[in-house]
Amino acid sequence: MPSPDRPAAASSPALAQRPGTDPRHLAIALHHAQQIQAQKDTQTLILDRILELIELPSSPTADPATPAAADVAALKSALRPFQPADYDNLILERNIEGRCGYALCPREHRKEDPRVRFRIVWGAKGSGAGGRGREMDIVPREKLEMWCSSECAERAMYIRVQLAEEPVWERRADDRRGRQILLLEEGRAASNDHHRQRQPSASVKDVLGQLDNLNLATGSASDSADLALERGDVHPALHGGRVEVQIREKQVAAGSTRAPELRPEDRMGGAIEGYVPRDTQDQDQDMLDLL
Amino acid sequence: MDSDYAGGSGEADREIIRLWRTWRTVFEMLQDRGYEVTEDEVQISLSEFRAKFQEPTSGLPRRDQMKISARPTEAMQAKYTALPSKSNPNPQPDCGTIYVEFCADSSGVGTKQVRTFNHTVDENNFHSGIFITQTPISPSAVRLLSGIPGRICEHFQEQDLLVNITRHELVPKHVLLSPEEKARLLERYRLKESQLPRIQVSDPVARYLGLRRGQVVKIIRKSETAGRYASYRWVI
Repeated sequence: MPSPDRPAAASSPALAQRPGTDPRHLAIALHHAQQIQAQKDTQTLILDRILELIELPSSPTADPATPAAADVAALKSALRPFQPADYDNLILERNIEGRCGYALCPREHRKEDPRVRFRIVWGAKGSGAGGRGREMDIVPREKLEMWCSSECAERAMYIRVQLAEEPVWERRADDRRGRQILLLEEGRAASNDHHRQRQPSASVKDVLGQLDNLNLATGSASDSADLALERGDVHPALHGGRVEVQIREKQVAAGSTRAPELRPEDRMGGAIEGYVPRDTQDQDQDMLDLL
Repeated sequence: MDSDYAGGSGEADREIIRLWRTWRTVFEMLQDRGYEVTEDEVQISLSEFRAKFQEPTSGLPRRDQMKISARPTEAMQAKYTALPSKSNPNPQPDCGTIYVEFCADSSGVGTKQVRTFNHTVDENNFHSGIFITQTPISPSAVRLLSGIPGRICEHFQEQDLLVNITRHELVPKHVLLSPEEKARLLERYRLKESQLPRIQVSDPVARYLGLRRGQVVKIIRKSETAGRYASYRWVI
């Protein structure tokens, strides 16, 4: 028997020809081994992506509100295979490097007094209950220290909720989640457009940022190839399942079928699944007596 | 000012004592794994340790100088040599020089430090490495550390090695079996290795001994009725 934990040995022809081996077992073991290998490959890929994203943004003076188009494209394509937990790892790594957790922000993260464990954060005016006063939030220091500002926190969390929960190798091809990630600014611009058709934007800076974002759809073919690789679609193990499916039409027996017709015993309703109700039994008997 | 200095020195003193105990445990660990270390190195006294690794002015430890490399003994090499097979009639021992490094950063150890460590291990062609930090390291750093192909890198926290867990009276003796002894054991009890009880690689003692998947460890316990009682665990 080939041992399932050694796919390299199992794939050699010598093992397949050994007496007493079942090719089905071999195939199953190989299938699972290849699946596990694909998962490992994906995890290494995600690790590489995290290491790349720590270095973003490319220029130290970049503005997180109007990021460079190249950085946005890099971020979006890199985030595709991520799960929210991987994204948290990215934020952690960036914080260890002393950067803000939002991948497009070049600033340092906030540093609070290390003796303080919680902070009270006040919301904007009119954010409290009933649209009056201010909203109050008690935030642990670690959460506060992840970001350079609350704007960056919002931007980063806006991306996090768009990531798909399930790992890449379980995603379906038609799953839109995690493939079209919007930055907070893009999301806002889209919803603005939706609400009040084409209002001029507030500042020249915003417009410039949006112009930058216009030419994003280039190279989508190579992107989808990348995604296929990430998902492990190219793996022969994932092409077809373990079970060969053959669809065969049902053979209908020759001869015509006839519509059911009334038989004498069905007159009073007949048997229900072989059981003749007592009432009708008696009635039948009576009828027979009368006759 | 004066009281500040005294407080700081007390803090530094405590740190150096803790570090000394960790240092000793590391050497005991290397010895128990079968590396070549001298008795002097294992039994280093606090004053010697101070003279070697304490900054004379501030009293703080110099972690960046705390590096160890040790070669395996013949006995260890024999234990790590696989049985000769038809495809590999002359197997080489799967162990080599080990490199231990203490990380100087007091907080936030991430992929950057692990990358440098990996680079050192790779550059000097060490077979395995042990990275010791003061704080836990990030999940991606752990993955990066275990990801070098062909090399074995482990991570410990300083506080994990403050005391030597295997010297505790409730921890039985664990002895690694060589491939030959393992084969004899399986032959004697007519077992497949998968029929043995198991021990995880992440088990504290397994981590201490640096056990690898597929090895078999013999655990010798004291028994009231039988005197000594040996059981075997397959590392998974």
